[in-house]
Amino acid sequence: MVLDKLSTSLKESMKKILKTTHVNDALINDVLKDIQKSLIQADVDIKLVFELTKKIREEINKRKDRFSQKELIINTIYQELVSILGEGNTITIEKKQEIFLLVGLFGSGKTTTCAKLGRYYQKRGLKVCLLGLDTFRPAAMRQLEQLAKKLNIPVFIDEKEKNPVKIIRKYKKELKNYDLIITDTAGRNALDEQLTKEIKNIEKELKPSYTFLILPADIGQNAKNQTIAFKDAINIDGVIITKLDGTAKAGGALTACAFTKTNIQFIGVGEKAEDLEEFKPKKFVSRLLGMGDLETLLKKAEEVIDEVQAREVGERLMSGKFNLFDLSFQLESMRNMGSIQKIVSMIPGLSMANLPKELLGVQENKLRTFKIIMDSMTKEELMNPEIIRAERIERIARGAGVSEKDVRELLKQYKQMKKILKKMKGAGQPKNLRQLMKQFKGIKGLM
Amino acid sequence: MFKFLKKKLSESIKLISGTKEKPRKVAKKKQKGFVEKIIKKATTKKIGEEELNKFLEEMEFSLLESNVAYEVVQKISYDLRQKLIGMEIKRMHSQKIINDLISETIKSILLEPNEKKFFDEIKKYKPYVILFVGINGSGKTTTLAKIAYMLRKKGFSCVASASDTFRAASIEQLEIHSKNVGFGLIKHDYGSDAAAVAFDAVKHAKAKGIDVVLVDTAGRQHSDKNLMNELEKIKRVVKPHLTVFVGDSLAGNDVIIQAQEFNNLIGFDYSILTKADVDEKGGAILSVSYVTKKPILFLGVGQNYSDLSIFKKDKIINKIGLN
Repeated sequence: MVLDKLSTSLKESMKKILKTTHVNDALINDVLKDIQKSLIQADVDIKLVFELTKKIREEINKRKDRFSQKELIINTIYQELVSILGEGNTITIEKKQEIFLLVGLFGSGKTTTCAKLGRYYQKRGLKVCLLGLDTFRPAAMRQLEQLAKKLNIPVFIDEKEKNPVKIIRKYKKELKNYDLIITDTAGRNALDEQLTKEIKNIEKELKPSYTFLILPADIGQNAKNQTIAFKDAINIDGVIITKLDGTAKAGGALTACAFTKTNIQFIGVGEKAEDLEEFKPKKFVSRLLGMGDLETLLKKAEEVIDEVQAREVGERLMSGKFNLFDLSFQLESMRNMGSIQKIVSMIPGLSMANLPKELLGVQENKLRTFKIIMDSMTKEELMNPEIIRAERIERIARGAGVSEKDVRELLKQYKQMKKILKKMKGAGQPKNLRQLMKQFKGIKGLM
Repeated sequence: MFKFLKKKLSESIKLISGTKEKPRKVAKKKQKGFVEKIIKKATTKKIGEEELNKFLEEMEFSLLESNVAYEVVQKISYDLRQKLIGMEIKRMHSQKIINDLISETIKSILLEPNEKKFFDEIKKYKPYVILFVGINGSGKTTTLAKIAYMLRKKGFSCVASASDTFRAASIEQLEIHSKNVGFGLIKHDYGSDAAAVAFDAVKHAKAKGIDVVLVDTAGRQHSDKNLMNELEKIKRVVKPHLTVFVGDSLAGNDVIIQAQEFNNLIGFDYSILTKADVDEKGGAILSVSYVTKKPILFLGVGQNYSDLSIFKKDKIINKIGLN
């Protein structure tokens, strides 16, 4: 889950505050120490950590007589964390022929991020293409090509050419036909003179409108110097943090941004092409502190759910005519939104509820199994689950490669959900948000 | 690579040993008893609680800044406290003593491989199977190619198993390496069962009498249960003689979680830390060694096939400036 550990330890601190009836100096010391420790463990620069906790303490002391001290503490922590992360600004792609240039260390995830960015802007209606300039790593060009093909994005590569600048020149004409060109480059050590010279040449020839530095979430105290070196060599407009789906807390990358006054634009949160999110400092901190992030969740839901189909499903839900077909559609949409853990982390309240990770993993598997079972059913069975009796159960189980017990469990869950939905019948016209909440009720039924 | 840690540590040491104040010169021989007293006072000092705290704090700070994981810093600090508390040190020697203590503590953390044993083991089995595991982008495929290059130079024949069937062009990447370095390659299609590929590679090696099978795997986050299960299955199927964790020496605190999780869920015999040539700090090496209690086999030190150096702890201690 995104920033799992830091989030857990910070949430513990928040809970500590919320639990006490009286805020005193000992508690504040305690909490600040906890925060220090968790930030250091998150790879945030040590000096920055001490500065931050000092500031929080000053803020708290300044307003000692104010009414609600608990809220004050939480709010101060929130504000200070947000101020480190800076203002997130959104990139607006206005003029035609925008060019993105992606640079970074070895293995930070540049190529994967190129594809994710391509997908992101393709979905927003831009004519996107990818340009491969990694002439060093074996098969890097192929990787970009294969990723692009999967997403139906045109790609320009040259596997024989060793000079990236020549590749840019070669495709100059063709590239003019696109709204957005996303450029992949070789991984490099920014402190290496030769590699730095190469990227300078690329910048000169390509004239990118935005250059992004890709930093992995697990990078430690080296992040600062590398970022400074990249910034010294070329113009960096923003940072994209990758691998946030692991346990790494991205403190190194965050620090690097704070020091160089660079904004974080996107974060990579998984292996799928969809797993790229815009970075919003406030939301990010909310999630860190366990306040949830409904906005992102709703946006994601909008992106992945087919509007028309969703409305139809919604209407059927409301009329109480709910079948396995609809359930299958819901599960599919859910899966496109990301893992359950990810979704739960965005729901206020639930993210604080500390659901055991293992349980979520089990649920995730269960849902996957359900989907497989439903894929093994006939259309008739999906539309009228009531006709499924022992014989059909046996066939379905065999087809799906699961036990009959699993099939029965799915049917039981379906019946329960149907019952719940019947109760809610007549709650009014389904609106976008309400539809979504219905879907989540459904999932809760499953859990 | 260790410039930074070296500088920081020597700063800390100076602070405690007070090298700047030189021991006072002995005035005259005559006033023996009195003078001796003064000398003793001036050249020895018992390290007090407050002083010790200050020193340890400084040292913790510099280790943390050198990218050593928090947990590991705590352990080093604790060990040093035990050794230093109440200790009487002659001022003249204090720098050396403290130097030695830190060096001793770090030496006890760093575990180096037995190079001869490593190659002897490879000769014992035919084929000898090595499995490479690690998170995304740590450098498994590149490291595999470097090891193949080294083994080829020592006269071993190698075949690689393209068991990363997930990442785009991972198979092509390995293919290019196999041509450049000169080792065989067993591959299936993308999306196929990684364990099956590895199984075929071992079978192939047995049939053709190839010495070493190198199994490449897809990078994965240790927190992804399903992918870790897949890796466990590969291990179960091919029963490697050696499993190697490939970690990124630029990684910070998370590297200990990565190493621990891979060790708990899959189990490995050695670590290899990559990108050590980019690393200015060196802390990750210490962290991984400390949490896994497994030797570091090699360090990846560049972009060429020959850029792989066997891990020697004395080299590291020297580089940190503790010898």
